[in-house]
Amino acid sequence: MTNERLIPAQNGQFNIGHICTRLQCDRGFAGKTAMHFLGAHGERTECTFGDLERESARFANVVRSLGFSAGDVLFIFLPKVSEVFPSFLGALKAQLITGTLFSNFGEEALLDRLGDAGAKGVLTRKSYLKKLLRIRERLPSLKFIILTDAAEHQAADILSLPALMQQASTEFETPLTPAEVPSVLHYTSGSTGKPKGALHRHRSVLLQNRTATEVLDLRPDDIFWCTADHGWVTGTSYGIIGPWSMGVTQVHFGGAYDAAKWFEILEQFGVTVWYTAPTALRMLMREDPATFARFNLGKLRHICSVGEPLNPEVISWGRKVLGKDIYDTWFQTETGAIMITNRPGLTIKPGSMGKPLSGIEAAIVSDDGKVLSDNEQGNLCLRPGWDSMFVSYFHHEDVYRQKFKHGWYMTGDTGYRDSEGYYWFMGRSDDVINTAGHLVSPFEVESALLEVEGIAESGVIGVPDELLWENVVAFVALRKGYEWNSGLELKLRLHISNRVSTTATPQEFRVLDNIPKNKSGKIMRRVLKARYLGKDAGDVSTLDI
Amino acid sequence: MTTIEKLNGIFRTVFDNDEINIQSEMTANDVDGWDSLSHVNLILAVEQGFGIRFNQKELLTFKNVGDLLRSIESKLG
Repeated sequence: MTNERLIPAQNGQFNIGHICTRLQCDRGFAGKTAMHFLGAHGERTECTFGDLERESARFANVVRSLGFSAGDVLFIFLPKVSEVFPSFLGALKAQLITGTLFSNFGEEALLDRLGDAGAKGVLTRKSYLKKLLRIRERLPSLKFIILTDAAEHQAADILSLPALMQQASTEFETPLTPAEVPSVLHYTSGSTGKPKGALHRHRSVLLQNRTATEVLDLRPDDIFWCTADHGWVTGTSYGIIGPWSMGVTQVHFGGAYDAAKWFEILEQFGVTVWYTAPTALRMLMREDPATFARFNLGKLRHICSVGEPLNPEVISWGRKVLGKDIYDTWFQTETGAIMITNRPGLTIKPGSMGKPLSGIEAAIVSDDGKVLSDNEQGNLCLRPGWDSMFVSYFHHEDVYRQKFKHGWYMTGDTGYRDSEGYYWFMGRSDDVINTAGHLVSPFEVESALLEVEGIAESGVIGVPDELLWENVVAFVALRKGYEWNSGLELKLRLHISNRVSTTATPQEFRVLDNIPKNKSGKIMRRVLKARYLGKDAGDVSTLDI
Repeated sequence: MTTIEKLNGIFRTVFDNDEINIQSEMTANDVDGWDSLSHVNLILAVEQGFGIRFNQKELLTFKNVGDLLRSIESKLG
C-alpha cells in the first residue's frame, strides 16, 4: 500500500461529496469516466468526474434553494437509477444528513424511518408517490417530495427534479466540513422496537478509502463493480464513497439479477474488481456452467463478498469457474467500513471471516466482559474509535450507549477466533434475521401481521436456507371464527410486502393454536425455532403457554 | 372485464401502484418493485384471482407479461 492512494481530507476538508467529485477534478480526473451506468433496458450513460462534480453541485444548489440547511435530513428513496449518485453527493456537499432507503420498502417501513429521522425531504419517483402520500399527514417535518421523473412540479411541495436542476447553477462552493460533521444515515433493524438510524460522519471517508485500497485492492486504473443497492451500507460505503474517493471508475447496473447479464457486464466493461454478495454468488452457482463459458473475464483480477458468511463451497466454485479466490469481508451498518476481512496477502481459510484490518482491535468477549481465549465462543466485539464508527442511533442515544459495554462495541454477532487469529462467525446474539444480506426485524414483521384481520398472535423467526442464508418464517395464531386458507396467506404476504418490504415477507407460514410466550408476555422465538428445526427447546420453565 | 383488465388489477394490488398499465412486452424491469420475492406474491395472486394453477415448468417459461397472459388464457379455455 502506498499513501499515494490515500488522498482524502486535504486542508481539513473532510466533505465526502467534495472528495468524491471536486477533489478528483483537481487531481486531473475531470475527464476520466467516473461511472458507466447501465439501465434496466440496456440504456447506457457515461459520466465523468467533471459531470459528477457539476451535477452534484446543481443538486446542492437545489436543496439550498429549497431552504435545506446543514443537519437537515434528506432521504433518497429510489431504485438504482443514475440520479441517485449526484444527488447523494450533492446532498453531502450541502452538509445534509443523507439517508438512503431500499426501494422495496412499504409504507410502514417508510413511516418509521422518515418519522424517526424527522426528514425534511425525500427524493423519489412517481411510482412510489402513493406510498408516501398515504403517510404524508403523519410526517409533519416532511416539507418536500422531489420526483426524478416528473417534468413539472406537481404541487407546492411535490417538485420536479429535472425542473429544479435546470434552474440550478453548476457551481457550488462546498463549505469546509470538519471530520465530525454528520453525513450518512442508514436505518438498521434490531430484534426489538423500531429500526434505528446509524448516523455516520464525514470522517468515515478515511476508512472507506483505506479499505477500498487495502481490501478491495483498488488501483487508479481499475474498473470496479459493486452490485449492492445504495439502500445498504455497502452500496454507499463501497458503491459510491470508497472508490470515488480515490478516483476509480465504477460500473452500476439498474436491472434485476440475471446470470448471463451479469457476466456480460463483467466482460463488456472489463471489470477488474467485483464486490458482490454470497446470495448472488450462490445463485450463480446454480446456473449451468455453459452460461459462463462464452464470456471472457480475463480482466477480472479480484473478487470480494459481503453480507452473509461465505460458504466454503462458494469459494471452491469461484476457484473452479472464475479461476479466482473470493475474499469474504465483514462489516455492519454501524461500522461503516470493512472491519474483519480476508484480503490480498492473507491466506484464505474457507468459511472464515479473516482477520481484523490493521488498526482495528477485535476480540471475543463473554457476557460479563471477559476477553475469551482462542477457540472459545462468545460475543464478537470491537474496540471503539475507528474512523467510520457510527456516532449515534439518530435520536436514540440511550440505545446507542447500550451497544457499548466493558469498553467494547458489541456487534451482536457471535463467533470465535482460532489459534492463528482468524475469526469465525457463529450467529447472532439476538433474533435479527439475515436474509440475503438484509437484516429483518422479527418485531416489525410480527407487528405488521397483527394488523391483518383474523390474526390474534404472531411470532417470526429466521431459519437456515442454502440460498439466502436465512428464510423468514412466520407463525400465526388465528382469532376465533377464522380459518387458514390460501386467500389469507396471500393477504398476509401482500400486507407485509406493501407495509414493510418484500425482503421481510415470510417465505413460509405455520399456524399454531398459541404463540409461545414467557410469563411477561415476550414471544419465545427460541422455542419457535427449536420446534421448527425439530430440536430441543432447552429451558422452557418460564413458558407461560 | 377482460382477462388483461383483471390481470392489470392484480398487478396494481400486488405492486401497490394504481398507475400500472400492463402490456405484453413488459418485464420485471418495467415495474418498480417486481423482484424475485414479489414475483411469488404475483403468481399466488394470479392463481387465486383466476382459479388456476401453474406448474414449475410453466413458471420458468414466462419471460414477460404476454407469456403470463397467454398461459392464463389457455388455462381458462
